[in-house]
Amino acid sequence: MIRDKLDNTKSYTMSEQVAADYVLVVKNLTKKFGKFTAVDNISLNVKRGEIFGFLGPNGAGKTTTIKMIAGLLQPDNGSISINNRSLANEPKQCKQDTGYIPDRPYLFEKLTGFEFLQFIASLYNLAPETFARNTAHYLKLFDLEDWRHHLIESYSHGMRQKLIISSIFMLEPPLIVVDEPMVGLDPKSGRIVKELFKSHAARGTSIFLSTHSLEIAEELCDRIGIILNGSLRALGNLKDLEVEARLEHSDLEEIFLELTGAYELQDIIAALRSA
Amino acid sequence: MAMDLSKKKTLLQPFLFSAKNRFFPENRLPFRTLGVLVFSLAVCLVLYKISVRVVTYFHSQNELGIILSLKIFQMAWITMFALLVFSCMVSAVSTLFLSQDNEIIFAAPVAKSDIFFMRYITTSIYTSWMMIVFSIPVFAAYGTVFKAAVFYWPLMLVSIIATAATATTFGIGLTVVLVNLFPAKRTKDIILYLSICFGIFIYLIFRLMRPEDLVNPDKYGHFIDYLSSLATPAAPYLPAAWASNLLSYYLMDREIDFLVTALLIITPIAFFFIGEWAMERWFLSGFTKSQESFGGYRKFFSRGKYRRSSLRWIFLKESKLFLRDSAEWSQLFMIAALVVVYLYNFKVLPVERSLFEEEYVTNLISFLNIGLTGFVVASLAARFVYPSIGAEGGSFYIIMASPLSTERYILYKYIFYIVPFTALALVLLVVSNRLLNIEGPMWWISVITGLIITWTVLAMALGFGAIYADFKAENRAAALGGIGAILFLFSAIAFEMAIIFLGVSPVYRLMRSWLRLGIMGANDLLTLSAWILASLAISLILALFFIRTGIRRLEESST
Repeated sequence: MIRDKLDNTKSYTMSEQVAADYVLVVKNLTKKFGKFTAVDNISLNVKRGEIFGFLGPNGAGKTTTIKMIAGLLQPDNGSISINNRSLANEPKQCKQDTGYIPDRPYLFEKLTGFEFLQFIASLYNLAPETFARNTAHYLKLFDLEDWRHHLIESYSHGMRQKLIISSIFMLEPPLIVVDEPMVGLDPKSGRIVKELFKSHAARGTSIFLSTHSLEIAEELCDRIGIILNGSLRALGNLKDLEVEARLEHSDLEEIFLELTGAYELQDIIAALRSA
Repeated sequence: MAMDLSKKKTLLQPFLFSAKNRFFPENRLPFRTLGVLVFSLAVCLVLYKISVRVVTYFHSQNELGIILSLKIFQMAWITMFALLVFSCMVSAVSTLFLSQDNEIIFAAPVAKSDIFFMRYITTSIYTSWMMIVFSIPVFAAYGTVFKAAVFYWPLMLVSIIATAATATTFGIGLTVVLVNLFPAKRTKDIILYLSICFGIFIYLIFRLMRPEDLVNPDKYGHFIDYLSSLATPAAPYLPAAWASNLLSYYLMDREIDFLVTALLIITPIAFFFIGEWAMERWFLSGFTKSQESFGGYRKFFSRGKYRRSSLRWIFLKESKLFLRDSAEWSQLFMIAALVVVYLYNFKVLPVERSLFEEEYVTNLISFLNIGLTGFVVASLAARFVYPSIGAEGGSFYIIMASPLSTERYILYKYIFYIVPFTALALVLLVVSNRLLNIEGPMWWISVITGLIITWTVLAMALGFGAIYADFKAENRAAALGGIGAILFLFSAIAFEMAIIFLGVSPVYRLMRSWLRLGIMGANDLLTLSAWILASLAISLILALFFIRTGIRRLEESST
């Protein structure tokens, strides 16, 4: 049912884009806040049509990296290129090609949902016919039709998250950068979002996804990067990560824990059980 | 009882610790706190000096001077009391019903009376500290001018604190009852409208009653008219009038009315217990209502079709956010009152009584009016334009992540604000020139220079707003207390004064020859043009410098 709904949308297609392998290329990215190094010399890339999972414990540097990719933070070192364009030199074009979904849906409280979509569409110079088609589609998909003329201040957390996801998918960008996509979503909407990611990736959209949910990462992601203390600890598909963690036939949770400090956790679990 | 006290102390901890961390940060010398302290003391001293001069002036006029100065004393107390009640009510709606920490506190096992105590203490301090600090020098001036005995000072302090406590206990208690009748947001709107109307009323009354005429009984046809104009209501049921009566009585007869003193001290305590009772009785239903509706269930249909234009949508966004926020648009009433009083002042200027020729005086006033207009524009820009970037709040990432460049975003904002501010400046300049019968070169000088100043001040407001953008400020008004707003105001006023001072000589020379001979000499025209060009150059440099610095700061900062 959800798949049927999703298929109605005309989305971004590979043939319309430059035939390059990578949509996102990050090289030696570093960001310091005073003496603290939040992101330390990270390099990674995301292929066209790939869902890339970005995992790491709290404070590892995920959001800082994502903000740099979205053009919200200037890196101290390194480079980011989107669709073969340097973010530092051509920020406007790079931002045109990137849709950013933050973890906390701060929106303009005194606009209605529909006005917010119009505002975003204008910022990204979306064609009127695409706007008409996509807003109708996504508002219906996320059950927001009846709420579109209400002020955002009356929306619940989940409705805000759905509105912001709609606003980005409406733009049909080649790269979508998502920070914790499922926060506040009900199971139905969560499922819709997962299916959206899959279907858009199948049509060539690249998705850079940061999440704490290992189930989501395991289900959706083609490749995964694990960041720890600002550095990339491991990178690759599930098999590559198994090798890196020196584990066999393990799920992502075991691999993640192994790569990010499982010994510590085992001690904590033992202490809790004995308490 | 001991249990209750410990809960009360615990509930006050976040407030106390935040204040400690803010004013006395660890491992750092509290330079900022010392700076604020020195600045406040300086303001108090200036206020005291001005108050002493004003009171001395009234006091020394004629036999009615003492009555008149005590009447003003009473009006000052009543105004202070009313302002405190309104500001406390506005704050109380937020702290009691809309505060972000409510869920943690109300979910905890604490009695409503403890919560009331904590909210009462914090709200009272937030709303009344400034009024208390700055009213002390004003009322102290009366002690100095009337050569009061030593008991005046403690009596004055007790009266100020007791009146402030009465106002805040009354305000909070009334808020608890009101929120039970209307949802919290609606109550806040109602109180806001009422307080703005009250502010406008006081402002207009003070100005339109022409206080300068009160010391000039000759202006009145009959002595009786004069006396009746002094006979403002004594308001014996208002706690503020008790304080003024108590102190007036002491100033005149050096005796303390113990009945009134007791009344002053007992009233806030009584109001506190009534408020606590109201909290027990009505708080939960009010808090429930405040969560049920935020006034957002109204529908707003977009009539216009979607069109690709980021300029259009930045305009639409700004205007919709302004017009849908009652805290913002209701300020327009205040601006309207400001404009009316501003222009009224020109209407009643006694230029005909001047020692110099009327035409010289009116032209001089028209020239100085450029600076006055600039001052009004700067203060309104500090209120509306300076906080406009920080007001994007958490949503600012939307702008920064979009392909709209920061330069263009600032430019669109500038265009958005330039229209109403140009209209305002033109109204102030053109109408006051009309009231002063200004024609010829002075008219053009005042309009052109006024517009240059207006446009530059707007650019500076946006620049400073970008440099010191506070994306976490609760609302636009909150940003006004920041260092950036103060720096902006100082810089804008310094810029205006520089332009005016530079223009004194060329304008004087040109106008002298114009008024005497009806001609403009070539040299005079040349120096005037040089001044206007220099003003333009300074304006452009300042505007570009602050805007560019602001853009750089925004692009560097994390959102």
